[in-house]
Amino acid sequence: MKMKKFINNPENLTQELLEGMAAAYPEKIRLEEGKIVVRANPKSADKVALITLGGSGHEPALSGFVGLGMLDASVVGDIFAAPNAVSLLAALRKFKREAGILLIVLNHAGDVMSANMAVKMAEREGIKLRTLLVCDDISAGLDAPMSDRRGLAGCIPVIKVAGAAAESGAGIDEVYEIAERFSRRVATLAVAMRGCTHPQNGLPISELADDEMEIGMGQHGEGGGGRGKILSADDTAKAMFENLAKALCLKAGDKVFAILNGVGATTPMELSIVFRAVTKLAAERGAEVVGGIIDEILTVQEMAGFQMILCVVDDEILKLLRAKSDAPYWTCIG
Amino acid sequence: MNLTLENLKSMFESASCGVAARERELSELDSVCGDGDHGSAITGAMRAASAAVAGASDIKGAFFEAGFAAMSHSNGSTSTLLGSFFMGISDGIEAGAGQLGAAELARAFKSGLEGIRANTKADIGDKTLMDALIPAVGAMSGRPSVAEALSAAAKAAKDGADSTAGLRAKFGRARNLGEKSIGSLDAGAVSMSIIFAEFAKAFGK
Repeated sequence: MKMKKFINNPENLTQELLEGMAAAYPEKIRLEEGKIVVRANPKSADKVALITLGGSGHEPALSGFVGLGMLDASVVGDIFAAPNAVSLLAALRKFKREAGILLIVLNHAGDVMSANMAVKMAEREGIKLRTLLVCDDISAGLDAPMSDRRGLAGCIPVIKVAGAAAESGAGIDEVYEIAERFSRRVATLAVAMRGCTHPQNGLPISELADDEMEIGMGQHGEGGGGRGKILSADDTAKAMFENLAKALCLKAGDKVFAILNGVGATTPMELSIVFRAVTKLAAERGAEVVGGIIDEILTVQEMAGFQMILCVVDDEILKLLRAKSDAPYWTCIG
Repeated sequence: MNLTLENLKSMFESASCGVAARERELSELDSVCGDGDHGSAITGAMRAASAAVAGASDIKGAFFEAGFAAMSHSNGSTSTLLGSFFMGISDGIEAGAGQLGAAELARAFKSGLEGIRANTKADIGDKTLMDALIPAVGAMSGRPSVAEALSAAAKAAKDGADSTAGLRAKFGRARNLGEKSIGSLDAGAVSMSIIFAEFAKAFGK
C-alpha cells in the first residue's frame, strides 16, 4: 500500500496541522507554545478545568473538542505518540486553580506513562487534580480487566459530559463522579476493512486482504479482534452491537446514545446505513436510541472502518450531552 | 571512595558520549522490531540529562534534573521511562546528601527501579530495557564499595542485554511481531547496558 497524502515535511506535520486548525477557528481555539491547544475564551478560574493529552494523526480528536462546555486544553504529541510529561505538566501549571483540574487520559501505554509522571510532579507543586482513565474499547474481551481496555473515541462523549458538568459549576469531585459513572456506561468497538499508512514514514499500519475485515481493530491498527470476510452493514452492525450490548448489560427500557465514528475512509452513507441497523437492533432488545452522532470525531488516517460507540444514558446525562458547546468539531447537538 | 557530585557529572557525560557513539547501531537494532528511532531518542535524552547534571548543585537535585530533562527532550516512551528512572533515584536520596556510599547508592537505584516500574509492567524476559536494568540494580546491593557496585551493575546489565537476543517481545509495537522478534538484541536493553558500563568506567577514572 503506497502512501498518498497532501503533506509537506513529515517532521512538521503536527505543528502545521495545529496551526491550520487554530487558524480556521480563531474565535474558539488558540495554539500555544509546546503544542497545547486552549480555548480562545478561557473558562472562569472558579470552574473546574478539563485537560486531555494524546498523539496527533487522529484529527479532529482531541484538539477539535477544545471549547466552551468541553476541553480547556489539549496537549498534543507527535503522530500517534503521546506528548511528554513535561508538556503536560506545563498545561497543568497553566490551569492550576482552587477549583481543580480533571485530567482525562485515554488508556494507551504512552499517554498513561506521561500522565502518571506529570501528575506526580504536579501534585508536588500543590496542583489540585483528579485523573479519569477512559477505557471504552471492549475488544480485549468482556472478561479482560479494565487496564487492558484501550481508550477509543468513547472518550469524546465522556469529555462532553464532564465538560458540561464543569461548565455548570460543579465541583471537582462531582465532575469526576459524573464522568466516571458515565464512562462505565460507554463501550466501543472498532472495525476496519482497509489499513492506513503512517504519515511520517509512509509505512503501512496493519494490512487487510481485499476481502477481509477485522472487528476489534485498535486505534493504530493493533490487531486483537476477529478477522473475517467482509460482511454487509447490517451483519457487521449486528456482530458489533451484540458484544457492546453484552458489555453494557443493555436491557429493555434503556436509552442509548449511539455514535458512529468514521475513522477516515468510510463514508457518511455507510455510517448512516449502519446507524439505521443500530436503532433496529436496540429496538429488538426493547432499548431505544434517543440520539446520536454520525461523523468523523476521531480518525486513523485513511483507514476504512468505523468505531461504534454505545452510551447508556439517563435524563441527567442527556442534558449534559445536549448542553451548549462551541468546540469546533462538536457540531451535532448543543 | 564514595560517590560525589563531581563523579556523577563525569559519569553522565561519559554515558551521554557512550550512547551517542553507538546511535546508529541502536537505531538499526530498533528498526528490526520498532520504529527505528531508539538511537536518536536515547542519545538526545542522555545528552539533555548530562547537561542538566552538569548544572546541578547536589546529588539528589542532579538526578531529578536529569530525569526532568530526559523527559522534556522528546515524546515517546524511552525518554519517559529513563526520566522516571532518574527521578526515582532522586526520590531515594536524602535531601542535602553530599556523597553516597555503596549502600546508599544501591538504595537509590532500587528506588529508581520502583519509579520505572510504576510506568511499565515489563519484567525480566519481556525483551525490553528492563532485562538489563533489573539485574543491574539487583547486582548493586550488598557490595562493599561504590566502584564494585557499579562494575557489578555494568556486568549484570551487559549479560541482561545479551540475553534479549533469545527473547520474544511482549511489549510495545514489537509485540505484534511475535516469533519474528527473536534473534535480535533489544535496543533499549543495549542502551541501558551502555549507560551502566560508562557509569562504572567513569567512576573508576
